[in-house]
Amino acid sequence: MKFKVSDSFYAEYVVNAQIHQLFLGISNDHNPLHTDKEFAVSKGFKGKVMHGNILNCFLSHFIGEGLPQNNVIIHSQTIQFKNPVYLDDKLQFQAKVDQIIKSVNVVIFKYEFKNESLKSVARGNIQIGLV
Amino acid sequence: MTMDRNEILKQLNKIFIDVLDDEEIVISESTSANDVEEWDSLNHIMLVVEIENHFGIKFKSNAILSWKNVGEMMDTILEN
Repeated sequence: MKFKVSDSFYAEYVVNAQIHQLFLGISNDHNPLHTDKEFAVSKGFKGKVMHGNILNCFLSHFIGEGLPQNNVIIHSQTIQFKNPVYLDDKLQFQAKVDQIIKSVNVVIFKYEFKNESLKSVARGNIQIGLV
Repeated sequence: MTMDRNEILKQLNKIFIDVLDDEEIVISESTSANDVEEWDSLNHIMLVVEIENHFGIKFKSNAILSWKNVGEMMDTILEN
């Protein structure tokens, strides 16, 4: 196992127009909060709010391709959305190994996404198994 | 470990209810994975994680593989 408690991993993700369009297509969620700037502004946001679940796609990328070993599978994950993400926001991602359960080859991470103002936009836990 | 088997079984039952998300589960020492529909291989891992955390113990892989029922799981908990 190439992990130890407190190991940290970093990545940067950008919710750009292509990702937004692709997610609209995959999810078929065209709620005006995500597609209509005027509507979103009328509800108190700075612009169209990006789907929070785009961040789950980034988590999938991180687990699938951002770790020192690729024999991994996600058992469970949680996510709490703390602040809105807008188009072209650059997100700093950090995941830290919180716990290792060697008997069943499990690694549990705590992770957080922050925006350019270093405000937390989402955080949670991911439990993976080494297969 | 100063808890008796009844107390451990009671605490395990609560963990099984939480992890398997089934309020109706009542386990005994003879209960095995064959007796509980939700007790599949992934939930088995989830149970081990929760049990280790709850009792503050670390199992060995070979001990986990040897369990045939809840009673044998309890034996390992008591050995820690």
